[in-house]
Amino acid sequence: MQKHSVLVVDDEPIVLESIRDWLNEAGYQVATAETGEQALEMVEKQDFSVMVLDLRLPGKTGIKVLKEIKAERPWIKSILITAYPSTETEKEARELGAVDYLIKPFAPDDLEKLINETLSSIPPEPTTITAVETRPKPLVAEVVEVKKSFVITKEELKSLFDELVKTMDVVGVTPREGKYVYDRIASFEDLCLGYDVTVMPPTKYLLPEKETLVSLELGDEQKVEPVIDASPRALFGVHPYDIKAIELLDEAFMTTHPDPNYIARRRNTLIIGVDCLEPSPKSFASSMGTHLTETGFDLLLTDIGKDYMVTVGSERGADLLEKPAKVREPTGDEIAKQKAVRDAALAKYELSLDIARERLPKLLEDSYDTPYWEERSESCLSCGSCVMVCPTCFCFDVEDDVSLNLRDGERLRHWDGCVLQDFARVATGENFRHGKASRFRHRILRKGKYVLERYGMVGCVGCGRCATACLADIASPLEAFNALAEAAKIKDVRRIAGDVIPETELYVPRPAKLVTVVELTPKEKLFEFRFTDSEGLGHRPGQFVEISVMGIGEAPISISSSPTKDGTFQLAVRNVGNVTAALHGLKKGSTVGIRGPFGNGFPLEALEGKDLLLIAGGIGLFPLRSLIQHTLDSRGAFGRVILLFGARSPAERLFVDELATWSHSPDIEFHETVDRGDETWKGNVGVITTLIPKIEIDPGKTMAVVVGPPIMYRFVIGELKKKDLPDEHIILSLERRMKCGVGKCGHCQINGVYVCQEGPVFTLAEIRKLREAV
Amino acid sequence: MKPKVAFFDFTCCEGCQLDTLNLTGEELVDLLNAVDIVNFREVKTEREDDYDIAFVEGSISRESEIPRLQQIRDHARVVVALGACACIGGINCLKNHLPMDEALRMVYAEDAKYYDTIPARPIDAVISVDFYVRGCPINTAELLKVVKALLLDKKPEIPNYPVCVECKMAGNVCVFEKGMTCLGPVIRAGCNAICVSSGRYCWGCRGLVDDPNIASEKDILEKYGLTVEQVIEKFKIYNTVAEVTK
Repeated sequence: MQKHSVLVVDDEPIVLESIRDWLNEAGYQVATAETGEQALEMVEKQDFSVMVLDLRLPGKTGIKVLKEIKAERPWIKSILITAYPSTETEKEARELGAVDYLIKPFAPDDLEKLINETLSSIPPEPTTITAVETRPKPLVAEVVEVKKSFVITKEELKSLFDELVKTMDVVGVTPREGKYVYDRIASFEDLCLGYDVTVMPPTKYLLPEKETLVSLELGDEQKVEPVIDASPRALFGVHPYDIKAIELLDEAFMTTHPDPNYIARRRNTLIIGVDCLEPSPKSFASSMGTHLTETGFDLLLTDIGKDYMVTVGSERGADLLEKPAKVREPTGDEIAKQKAVRDAALAKYELSLDIARERLPKLLEDSYDTPYWEERSESCLSCGSCVMVCPTCFCFDVEDDVSLNLRDGERLRHWDGCVLQDFARVATGENFRHGKASRFRHRILRKGKYVLERYGMVGCVGCGRCATACLADIASPLEAFNALAEAAKIKDVRRIAGDVIPETELYVPRPAKLVTVVELTPKEKLFEFRFTDSEGLGHRPGQFVEISVMGIGEAPISISSSPTKDGTFQLAVRNVGNVTAALHGLKKGSTVGIRGPFGNGFPLEALEGKDLLLIAGGIGLFPLRSLIQHTLDSRGAFGRVILLFGARSPAERLFVDELATWSHSPDIEFHETVDRGDETWKGNVGVITTLIPKIEIDPGKTMAVVVGPPIMYRFVIGELKKKDLPDEHIILSLERRMKCGVGKCGHCQINGVYVCQEGPVFTLAEIRKLREAV
Repeated sequence: MKPKVAFFDFTCCEGCQLDTLNLTGEELVDLLNAVDIVNFREVKTEREDDYDIAFVEGSISRESEIPRLQQIRDHARVVVALGACACIGGINCLKNHLPMDEALRMVYAEDAKYYDTIPARPIDAVISVDFYVRGCPINTAELLKVVKALLLDKKPEIPNYPVCVECKMAGNVCVFEKGMTCLGPVIRAGCNAICVSSGRYCWGCRGLVDDPNIASEKDILEKYGLTVEQVIEKFKIYNTVAEVTK
């Protein structure tokens, strides 16, 4: 069992040594510091369970140390000791979270008893800090620091507001029905800068609840245009935690596939922040490190009583202050006042995390299978309130809306959320996150782990809105994390909208003509398309496209043809949903829209030179066919090629002509079975797994590629493991609801992995790390 | 060829059909360009028995309504339930909590003997229904969405999430925070939370979502001060039909 560690801070060596000896004897790990500065430095590097802190220290006093600890490491329990007691310092210490206040001299037993009592309420902590591995990302732009603070009077602030209102929409906070909301503000008098929290976050002005991505015209003269709103707007009075949330959205929408709609809004949005001096009782922003911010704003205000301090965060912010000289340099008193009001605000946070924030991913990983999720989500209504009010939630759904004239329409995205029942449901009916417990867990893991690992920032800013909105009182990540805290310095990379080149055509499909249609079975057809500009698709086997039928919608479909095929590409489609039904109704010459190719595709480099064992169950043959064709086209690059195919019945066999060719080809060892035979069927009968024991393979040089319905994977993997095939040699393609294809909408996630980006092809070794996958 | 559309009503106030007529002039013109309305007694006296799409308003509350509804099913390619009464039984189901003869006497007194009545039920308790346009009254935007989907031969995307989602999108302060109670957390969205946005609360007229957490909603209503009886009354207004038909 881990020992609890105690940090003792006192400037008198004798006191220091004697406390150390007492506590060592009592079985604690003890470290010592003689100054507050030294103590803070040690706390940076190692977590302590308890700190015994002298009030009078040279340099930083005990109270100052306590303040910083409360902000930076709120889970550390502090006991103050002093030879100069006063009711004022005791009160102040307790307000800053000190668990007790001991007057020197005291008996060793008293201190030990107090520490024991304090520790009995918290679990033992490992003493090493788990580093968070974040995905390396290219830095978009060097952040130019323009930080400088001034004083602005309320009258000048009003004239600044009046200037802004002349040229743009100004959005700010205003009271409504006993709460605060963001709304358009016409006059400075209606603007509230001293609020606790708003019902909805200001992020809706960057990612509105509903917005048009593209306008479309139906029919063969397909016309699709991006629709981008770039009207200028100022967000006036944004709290630091919401500014941090916007920085997270920047990461999500300005990296990999820069989103044109988001970037246009971001570029045209001026952010004027204001320090939160009256935090909501449900807020734990101080524990998430978001109660203050040094980045992400153009200007940041602090109410210091008569006037405001204003900190400049960007060139644009500096320009605002320049026009008429509205500001002056602050006096020493004013700087001190700013610090004092911020400290006073910090002391008002009633909630805090109990462990370090950087431990959060590990903690959540380790807690994946606890009964907590099931128990706590029992009362979950799956009502979506928690995700709708969350400033860091950004998942969306996409839908076509057509005018009644049936000639034109638009493709809209609207908010969606992972706690809603059908979020991960695909057209075939499977729901990959079926129970409310799994959805509840996904949301919490996203907040504490997946987002941090993907974007380098914690996915929760501690605003407390979800805790307020949740009627069942279960939504607060703080409660779920239970014992978390501040992270190692979170990488301070800001995205600057002006420097990112958006993918303007991100959501615009390219028109393609239907060249041929072949009916494979009554439910499945093979479509061959050619882009109207005659460009090739340029895909890898195993990738997919998003196919649009204008006015009906968009659906992900895997590519069935080999890239070696010239000029056209083939998609085999089962009729299961709106888009696929519409495709099945299309005639030769019709136009569809194509985005992509997306996803990683099969790892051709890893397959070359190896024996291939290709296993397709049912329509798993659709994506696998692209690989089969590719291997046959470059036959010399591979060793043996073994293909196993299973259909439910002879009538459901696909590509029957090709099956016949393959069964005679010297290039491929082909074995086939059906689950249920009929009078016409003379071949194998039995599920696909029955074929595997019949073949001989060399596990060292064989790569298995398996594609089929989810149910098939477990059994096929079982059989392959009997052949001693290592996990790295088993490759699977996974189906998920890939709505946007560009790693934004969130529907296809398996834990923190976006299947449309890192998948759909994974090795079994990779999948075993993804606990939601198989 | 424009599809032929017919409107029918059973036990109801015909308010949903009236709301259909509340489409804007432009929408009505577009609608009439897209479909032929062959049966609609609030609008025209001619009637025709040849139609593709039947919109049926009202619940079934008399034996004699059953064969008439079945006949509509036989004629129509597509049957759309229109409004709360047709979709979930609606407020007509309130009478199901009384013995039928007592309900008759309450309404018709000494003339009760001239009438018959059966427990009210939604039309899908009698025939199969293809699509639902929910609400009391319907949301005309949703009606148009269903019409457009039918014209495009696609399944309309009707939310299977609760009113809370749209209520948050509308930026409303939560009803519970204003000292009232609400069925929004278990009721299917699609109305843009119109009642809450207008200062009221959700009565549940669009029916429950597919897998509602009723136990939790009841706990919450009690936590916010309702007695068990009041909770049951709240659900009764629109949402007791499940108990009646099963």
